[in-house]
Amino acid sequence: MQPTMKISGITKHMAVAVLLLTGWLLPLQLNAADVSVSAELSRPQISQGEMAELQIQVSGSQQADVPQQIQADGLQIRLTGQSTQVQMVNFKVSSSVVYSYIVMPLRTGSFIIPGASITADGRQFRTPELSFKVDEAKAQSINPPAGSSQSAQGILPPGIPMPGFQQQRARPAQQRPDEGRLVFGEINCPKKTLYAGEMTPVEIRYYFDARYPVQVRGRIDFGCEGILVERFPDPKQTREDRDGITYNVLTFHSLLSAVKPGSLDVAPAKLDCEIEMPGALPPGFDDPVFRQLMGGQAGISQQKQVTVKTSGLHLEVLPLPKEGRPESFAGAVGQFDIDSIVSNPHPAAGDPANLVVKIGGRGNFKGMGAPVLTNTEGWRSYPPSDKFDSSDELSYTGVKSFDFTLIAQQLQKESPGCEFSYFDPTTAKYVTLTSKPLPLVASPGGPSPAVAGDSSAASSPNPVPSSGQKSPKNVPPKEGQPLSGINLRSWTTPMHRSEFLIATLAMLIATAALAGILAYWKIQSQGGTLASRRRKHITELRSLLTEGTIDAGSSYEAALEYAELVLPPSEKRDALILGLTERRDLLKYGSGASLPLPPLEHRELLESLELTTKSP
Amino acid sequence: MKYLSLLLLLLTLSLASLHAGLPEDFASANANLASGHADQALSTYKTLLSYPEFKTSGSAEIWYNRGLAEMQTGDAVAASLSFRRALLLDPALAPARLELSKTLGSLSIPVPNGWRERTMQSIHPETLIVTGALIGWIGALLLVVMLFQSSRRKGPILLSLLLILFGHGASVLGTLVDPRRTARDSAVITAKTAPALRATPADSATESGTLEPGTLISILSRNGAWWYVSTGSGPGALQGWIPSNAVTPLLSSSKDSKGSS
Repeated sequence: MQPTMKISGITKHMAVAVLLLTGWLLPLQLNAADVSVSAELSRPQISQGEMAELQIQVSGSQQADVPQQIQADGLQIRLTGQSTQVQMVNFKVSSSVVYSYIVMPLRTGSFIIPGASITADGRQFRTPELSFKVDEAKAQSINPPAGSSQSAQGILPPGIPMPGFQQQRARPAQQRPDEGRLVFGEINCPKKTLYAGEMTPVEIRYYFDARYPVQVRGRIDFGCEGILVERFPDPKQTREDRDGITYNVLTFHSLLSAVKPGSLDVAPAKLDCEIEMPGALPPGFDDPVFRQLMGGQAGISQQKQVTVKTSGLHLEVLPLPKEGRPESFAGAVGQFDIDSIVSNPHPAAGDPANLVVKIGGRGNFKGMGAPVLTNTEGWRSYPPSDKFDSSDELSYTGVKSFDFTLIAQQLQKESPGCEFSYFDPTTAKYVTLTSKPLPLVASPGGPSPAVAGDSSAASSPNPVPSSGQKSPKNVPPKEGQPLSGINLRSWTTPMHRSEFLIATLAMLIATAALAGILAYWKIQSQGGTLASRRRKHITELRSLLTEGTIDAGSSYEAALEYAELVLPPSEKRDALILGLTERRDLLKYGSGASLPLPPLEHRELLESLELTTKSP
Repeated sequence: MKYLSLLLLLLTLSLASLHAGLPEDFASANANLASGHADQALSTYKTLLSYPEFKTSGSAEIWYNRGLAEMQTGDAVAASLSFRRALLLDPALAPARLELSKTLGSLSIPVPNGWRERTMQSIHPETLIVTGALIGWIGALLLVVMLFQSSRRKGPILLSLLLILFGHGASVLGTLVDPRRTARDSAVITAKTAPALRATPADSATESGTLEPGTLISILSRNGAWWYVSTGSGPGALQGWIPSNAVTPLLSSSKDSKGSS
């Protein structure tokens, strides 16, 4: 996200236009760009206890699929972060992503770091193999910081949560900003001496004179070889007065860690921005009258490209000591604690148990390896899956859970224990945490009917093929051991199989048939359809009229209804209905409605309705 | 009950005759693999997979074991194809997923772990499709009955509509995540060296990249000895022509002899 500060009038529209144009041009240019991949080690040779940084740069693409780990015997290589850079020069856009890996040696010797397969823009690339050498540890040239000197050097005391920047004021790049200075930056890294792999917070503040609208362009540029800087979250925007000038302040927080021991000079953190400066009016307009007419706002603004810089940062990076380094140490630097639980203490026979080891605290969670299981006799374990739950936006504090899948090879009543070692930079010592075995009951699975090498299974006449049998996946085999049992499955999805389509068609027909049957029943219960009810009614009327068994009033009622239902619309019909209505009303409101209709009138009525008298 | 027993007997007999000799061969191959004779085991697995039973169907277990044998013989690319086929038949087969992950790791190929893979690990797509369709149709029948009731109560009608929606929705979801849906047009690079993608179907055409052995690709069209393939479905996916002898289709029925070699 680009933090946008105050933008005024015309400039705002121009900025929108520029952004739209950039947004339109960017993909075109990016797509047109060639993708290339390169890999580089920060140092080809290190001493034991040190770490190196491997950077894989993908140019011409903004996103690539890279492995989380690179497998190399004797080395632990883990992805720690990425940074993206997009540049546009003369509307030609170039972008690159740099993926940073920490290379931590597990022993001394010469190594070949194999090429990693990278997928970018749908294409596959392979980085070149790199040679890497790890020597015996050299004598330390820099003394580790004594506990008493930490506060003097600005090291955060233990227990202060991240981010703890409010605890200590940032030290300006210069002692105080110059009068009238438009923009300036400050950097605050409370810890100037740190160990390789140790993470320390860094705060970068950029001050912008509040009187001038500013637009920030691009991302913060900070870091150097041997330093890993975590991605900067969105900055906080505040206001601050300095020497009578109000500044808008953008504050960026992040974490940095060093992988290269020695003295490091980190270049200033830079941020590109555009400041809208007032410009001179053209000749003839620069007079008070014109300014008055324009409400005092007359002026031509000019955009000024500015790169805001902080001061540089000097760091002393100490190698991790070789002395006292536990075997279970896997790169964790910080302060941690350990906890473990068994998620299913009573698994069924042959089913795996899960031991979840939680490492909480603060430090380099991304670079830490898994804890080591102890008392694993009678257990088969697999490499754990891990999950990190951060409790701050910088992923400095939190809990990382390692989920070990354990399969009992014999009856077990407690889980394996666990050991986790880390280096505590505040005491400059390695610490080993252990978790005790936890109670559980797990037993191995029973012998499978067709286990490899089982002669009874091999000689079994028909031990296998039943598609209804329990899948062998439910009984985890030993790693690398073949599965027994054969379950036949189709190569095609049900939607493409005839039996499924036939079943679907059958269900469709069944549903339609059910609907038809229910509709028929419903119609029957209501006396048939409207048309059939009409036909039936006409027949009844015709019978009444032709039989002549009803009185005169009812006869004319029936005749009227019959005429309305049967006779086609015409003038003759209308006249007939009128005549019938008059005669009915005469009978109804006069006398004779209850008397039988005289035969002559009955015949005339039937003739008018185009009916014939029913034969006696 | 009598007829049911007869039916079950007939079914058992038909299955038994279908796989005559297969279980013994399979157990023998497993024994060879477990005792370290991977070459013999691999040969038996290939023979088993050429049985007529496996023309229209397959066994995830045989493909998994074959992948293990191929790994032991050092053919990681062929093993990746076998594990992919095992997962095609049974996406919830955890050992195959683990071995595929390890194999692709050794080939430095990223392991797919999208929402489809995660869904398939939870429930078999076939179960989702069939159960979903069944629930959907029950909902449809219920709705028809409810609509023709003299007193139309909203509750049962809503319930039947929900059954239709969720049932058929689950069925569609199962079809979407089912890897067999697109398997006909999927293939794995099985050439020993990374073949080049070319702009036109000719050896002299411009190269637009190379594909690592073991990579899964989509076949967009076939033109004799050249296939037009894609490396993915995203906007940045690369497409190009590749010799058909450099790839093996994921469905074993069409070109298994090549994949076996």
